[in-house]
Amino acid sequence: MTYTLKFQGRIYKVELEKDDNQIKVEIDGKTVTVEYKSIEDNLYSILYEGKSITLGVVKKGHNTQIFLNGELYELESISERDKRKTSQIASGIQEIKSPMPSRVVNILKAQGDKVELDEGVAVIEAMKMESELKSPIEGEVTDVFVNEGDAVEAGTVLLVVSSE
Amino acid sequence: MFNKILIANRGEIAVRIIRACKELGISTVAVYSDADRRSLHVALADEAYHIGGSAPGESYLVIDKILDVAKKSGAEAIHPGFGFLSENEEFAKRCEKAKIVFIGPSAKALRLMGDKITARKIAHEARVPLVPGSEGAVSDVEASVVADKIGYPVMIKASAGGGGKGMRLVREKGEFQSALRMARSEAGSAFGDDSVFVEKFVEQPRHIEIQIIADGHGNVLHLFERDCSIQRRHQKVIEEAPSSAISARTRKKMGDVAVRIAKAVDYQGAGTVEFIMDQKRNFYFLEMNTRVQVEHPVTEMITGFDIVKWMIRIADGEKLPYKQNQIEMKGHALECRVYAEDPETNFMPSPGVIDYLRVPSGPGIRDDSSIYSGSEITPHYDPMLSKLIVWADTREGAIEKMASALREYIVIGVKTNIGFLLRVMGEEEFKEGRIDTGYIERHPELLKPGDVDIEPVLIAAALAMYNADSPEKAEQRPVSNWKLFGRKLGVSGGQVL
Repeated sequence: MTYTLKFQGRIYKVELEKDDNQIKVEIDGKTVTVEYKSIEDNLYSILYEGKSITLGVVKKGHNTQIFLNGELYELESISERDKRKTSQIASGIQEIKSPMPSRVVNILKAQGDKVELDEGVAVIEAMKMESELKSPIEGEVTDVFVNEGDAVEAGTVLLVVSSE
Repeated sequence: MFNKILIANRGEIAVRIIRACKELGISTVAVYSDADRRSLHVALADEAYHIGGSAPGESYLVIDKILDVAKKSGAEAIHPGFGFLSENEEFAKRCEKAKIVFIGPSAKALRLMGDKITARKIAHEARVPLVPGSEGAVSDVEASVVADKIGYPVMIKASAGGGGKGMRLVREKGEFQSALRMARSEAGSAFGDDSVFVEKFVEQPRHIEIQIIADGHGNVLHLFERDCSIQRRHQKVIEEAPSSAISARTRKKMGDVAVRIAKAVDYQGAGTVEFIMDQKRNFYFLEMNTRVQVEHPVTEMITGFDIVKWMIRIADGEKLPYKQNQIEMKGHALECRVYAEDPETNFMPSPGVIDYLRVPSGPGIRDDSSIYSGSEITPHYDPMLSKLIVWADTREGAIEKMASALREYIVIGVKTNIGFLLRVMGEEEFKEGRIDTGYIERHPELLKPGDVDIEPVLIAAALAMYNADSPEKAEQRPVSNWKLFGRKLGVSGGQVL
């Protein structure tokens, strides 16, 4: 089986071939032989090249979350059809959404303002803490939908930034 | 001893208190909000009552609702935990009126220590060192006289202040007047009150606190210090005991001072006297917390003293059976607060459902938490998932043990600070004990994960997809022992043995 996975912005092709207890995995042209057991549904033990590695794994639809050595990683499986679209991310029109139910503390940019990549555009407060939301692209603020002091739900669009 | 106690809290501290009650043979009553029906404290308590909406103002902060449940259930005492109503004078008074024991200090002690200016006054009268500065608000002329007297750098702070507004650090006399003007105007617009005071600026301070415990018979003991200098957003993240910065002499001095403050307000129960300490090891009183602290376990680990149980016993009138010289400490304890948050986006909270959880174990490892696979971290409450506490004979040993335990921790579904904590354990300054409250700001490199070992991650992801596509081919599921048993006997389904 061949799987196409997007991980940390890069696309990887992983070829997996199962033969009894041995699994051959080819990643970007390199082949390794892996011995694998699932300890629990979400806990995998893999042995290869003299290493024993235990990972937490949860798969939900196209996304797989993996926990290893204190870090949570997210991978996305990509079908052939999706591949053509991936070149378009990080440009165009981006909606800045509240990631959780929160209160808008500060709107840092007005309609028509220029923003840099990673520049703060709004400050929200949730769980007793303030957080700054940043623009994922360079561009111009085309819309502001909320006012300072507003209570918003998770997913509410606060502003729109456009690079066009 | 009490027969039944109501725990007016949630999360890991409610679980901690319920367990202490069980060990003492006391029945427990939990209260819960809409969001907490499936929380662990509800499952562990003997009785549980719904008290309202998820927002704390609709449930855990409503005095009437808590007292109603106490009466209905016949609870004789209430343990308030920390946060919520734990330092609420009104609540303590209402408990007294309802003839229910409030497990904590008197309403009077709560009031005196709850007000910062009064607390400073009491500390001053008890000959406790305070950060040098003006006594209360000052005029422009007085401000500059005070600044000259205490010496630069100084801090100008808004009297009505908070959140860093109306605050100015002044390093030289020449900058003082303009900084004063700015602080006043900022304070005026933020709080409608432009009065300010001047304080000596303590450079690279450590946060050191002394745990005290006092019974109702005049015995006040201190249980040594905790060093809580590793903070983010003015909140503690890593705590340890003992502090690597202080000598036995300073420890005794700080302990004596903390006991004096407690005695000055006829304190009863567990409390914490907080200090900041400068680089020359001078310490100054900050405030007193009149409740159990989040980080109380590190003190329990080095003293063997069960603080929560003693809070209950003392509230029941028991006398502390120890003298100060019988309290000993041994080894070193560390606590890491595991939060659902993202260190890379300035520690933004990351609520969600915990899809999978695996908790470390082993000798000297303690995990105080209230989460499980499937539990939800809601935006209504503090995003702390657990407190991971370790004990070892030395500080180095404790750091190594903590790192090893953190590597065993697995949390999937929400972002956590586990990787960040792990990087702190490996950082040289931390390992050498050179820490202060500016540590995290000084080490932005710790916020980002290092290079990931890509191969195992990709292999695991591909295996997960393979298993999902073809579960029967995966084979890797544990085989039922009944099936094996059946095969061995040569029986198949439907046959009767």
